[in-house]
Amino acid sequence: MKEQLTYTETSLPSIKQAKQSLYTSYSGMLLGYIVEVVKDRTVAEKYLIDIFTGLQANDIQDIFNPDNGSVYCRLQSYARKQLCQVHNTITDRAVQPANRVTGLMNEEQQLVFCGLHYHGKSIAQLANELSKDEYTIRQILKQSFNIIRSNRK
Amino acid sequence: MIQQYINSGILEAYVTGSASEKEVEELMRMKTEYPEVSRALQELEADMEHLARHMAVEPPARTWDKISDSIDEIMLRNKHVQPFIEKEEANPRSTGRDNGQQYIEVEAESSFMRIHKAWKWVFAAVFILGKVFLACAIYFYLENRQAQQQLQEIKTELRKIKP
Repeated sequence: MKEQLTYTETSLPSIKQAKQSLYTSYSGMLLGYIVEVVKDRTVAEKYLIDIFTGLQANDIQDIFNPDNGSVYCRLQSYARKQLCQVHNTITDRAVQPANRVTGLMNEEQQLVFCGLHYHGKSIAQLANELSKDEYTIRQILKQSFNIIRSNRK
Repeated sequence: MIQQYINSGILEAYVTGSASEKEVEELMRMKTEYPEVSRALQELEADMEHLARHMAVEPPARTWDKISDSIDEIMLRNKHVQPFIEKEEANPRSTGRDNGQQYIEVEAESSFMRIHKAWKWVFAAVFILGKVFLACAIYFYLENRQAQQQLQEIKTELRKIKP
């Protein structure tokens, strides 16, 4: 069985090693996500540095905890919380990232997916903006994931 | 029932960070209880990773160095703070413990001193005596100056009388 990593406030070298391991594996993916959120490469790089520097021992433990699922998704979730301030300043709702995965979605699916994933909007907020009920928004989101999956397989 | 829950879109909301706290709690419970939910969640996380790989942007070469420098700075700062903490632990000057909390007596430098109230009469007496001495000093100085002037006048008169 894989031994669970433990990090304490005093074991900074091991925290650094853990951060480096995360950086090596996921920095490109995370930077891609941040670029889509802030829409500025230089600002995104600054956020990337801040996110990796600000990771605390308990955050790392949470990210590496196998019970919490994918390491990248936990790291992205942490980054999303850190980018909360940026999310609050986003007013435009129709920002469509040009890539061959989300490009396969229709306009409505892109609005829902990007609104939730990149712009940090809530389902209730999107439902209000698009004049639809929350169930419909969830179903549109589900359709978006089906498109991503069909591209993956 | 479980399939209905999986199809509800809550799992997708969770991986995009838009599920409410209540929904997250429910999902965590369902995940441990039903392997189907756990598998569906793993699939969605794999979808997110797939999307992230497509969107990946390579950071500049020096980015890790900057992060590493910041971490080293924190380590260095902690090294400076640690000896003080250890010193306090070795020689605790605590006044007591309350509900497991330890209070450390802080000795602050103050420019004030505490004295007995009786000293105010002594200071008043010293102040009044100081004033009396000052008045006397002025009085005798003026007297002395007047005497000197008179003496000078007498000397001048004497010179006039003597041919």
